[in-house]
Amino acid sequence: MLNKFINKIAPRSPWLYRLNAGSCNGCDVELATVALIPRYDVERLGCKYCGSPRHADIVLISGPLTSRVRDKVLRVYDEIPHPKVTLACGACPISGGVYRDSYTVNSPIDQYIPIDVVVPGCPPRPHAIIEGVALALEIWRKRLEEGTCSRS
Amino acid sequence: MTSFFEATFAMFIFPGGLFALAAGLMLKGVDRKAVARLQRRVGPPLYQPALDVLKLTIKETLIPHTANEVAFKLAPVLGLSGVLLTAAVMPIGGVWNGVTGMKDLLVLLYLLPVPAMALMIAGSASSSPYGALGFSREMVVMFAYEMPLIASFLAVAVRVGGTGSGMFALDNIINYQMQHGPMIFDPIMLPAFVAMLLFIPGTMGSGLFDIPEAEPEVIEGPLLEYSGPLLAMFQLMSAVKLVVVVELVVALFMPNGLGGNVLVNLVWHLFKCLALMLVAVTVFRASTGRLRLEQGFAFFVKYTSPLALVSLGLAYMLR
Ligand code: SF4
Repeated sequence: MLNKFINKIAPRSPWLYRLNAGSCNGCDVELATVALIPRYDVERLGCKYCGSPRHADIVLISGPLTSRVRDKVLRVYDEIPHPKVTLACGACPISGGVYRDSYTVNSPIDQYIPIDVVVPGCPPRPHAIIEGVALALEIWRKRLEEGTCSRS
Repeated sequence: MTSFFEATFAMFIFPGGLFALAAGLMLKGVDRKAVARLQRRVGPPLYQPALDVLKLTIKETLIPHTANEVAFKLAPVLGLSGVLLTAAVMPIGGVWNGVTGMKDLLVLLYLLPVPAMALMIAGSASSSPYGALGFSREMVVMFAYEMPLIASFLAVAVRVGGTGSGMFALDNIINYQMQHGPMIFDPIMLPAFVAMLLFIPGTMGSGLFDIPEAEPEVIEGPLLEYSGPLLAMFQLMSAVKLVVVVELVVALFMPNGLGGNVLVNLVWHLFKCLALMLVAVTVFRASTGRLRLEQGFAFFVKYTSPLALVSLGLAYMLR
């Protein structure tokens, strides 16, 4: 009973964590403005940026996953407690974006990390990111109800 | 036997326990909402902190394998029980006089640093370099704000002018203010009141004094390695701590009720707490950045402590 209740309300308190997998900073600036500039307020969805991966629920990944940071990114991803939802931000994680075909990038990211939501754009509009976060919340809620959110 | 029941009731239900938890989560929610409104955002709902805590209970608990597991798990328990005990001892003017045998300012002086201690243990037990940095920062800030706290305590005690072991009795302090009007209208005590107003953000780590848990620098400091239910306990601890420090200032400087009715007095007390929190935490947090560690330390040593000491000196001379 109580578990059901918590499963229902948990997606109303998502804590965001920005994971930079070698992005050009364009996406990161866009992500930061979504929360920091009063005009685009994600706190109304209950979101909060957290500094530590241990506190995170929704992982916002930006950048094409360069070879240099690949192992570190995978390690940080493992440090995030279940249940977690991932959101890939920008064209880079999907295809490599402007870095496509470079020998230093390992995109697409979902060879390494399961990606739940993709927000394309270079960089994406803040509105698109907010919609992506809302979509991630829906996925999180569905998974909690189905009970498929535990550690695999 | 009655005092046993009284103490249990105080610990688990009324001034501590459920009441303090509910009030703390509510105050935190109002704080977040008010900051959002000050920044012209919509902001989260008022019950957002409660949602956060509930959500954390279903998260996985990760413990770093280099951490000292016992201390790592014990720190949040220690902190939460410490603040709940402090909340139980805190008297509410016109409603609750405190548990028999525990009405003493010195008890509060010993109990108030417990949450900071818990954070220090947490930071050092997590075996993370950022945790260690947070630990040392927490310690330095604590040393800085203890001084004005003690000086303000002494100033109030001297002004009330009890003798012997009654000097620090909380009921003396409250009775004195019931008869002579609240301390906040006493020109001598105003500097001490201002010092206590600055102590609140100092101990809560908000605004200028967000030094130990600075997110961009030491990524949440002592709380860095915590996740799941243990982090939820730290969240509850910080919520109850907010109630405790605000109630402390209310008890020392303006405990007066609005007449004999207990319920009216309770609402009035909550209103005072809310107003005090809005001034000392919310507006302060929304309108200031963060100081560097040594600047924060110097702020307390140079400006806040002298304010409290002025009150103490004046109270001594005029007693
Ligand atoms: S998608 Fe575009 S803006 Fe975003 S990291 Fe890649 S290149 Fe930069």
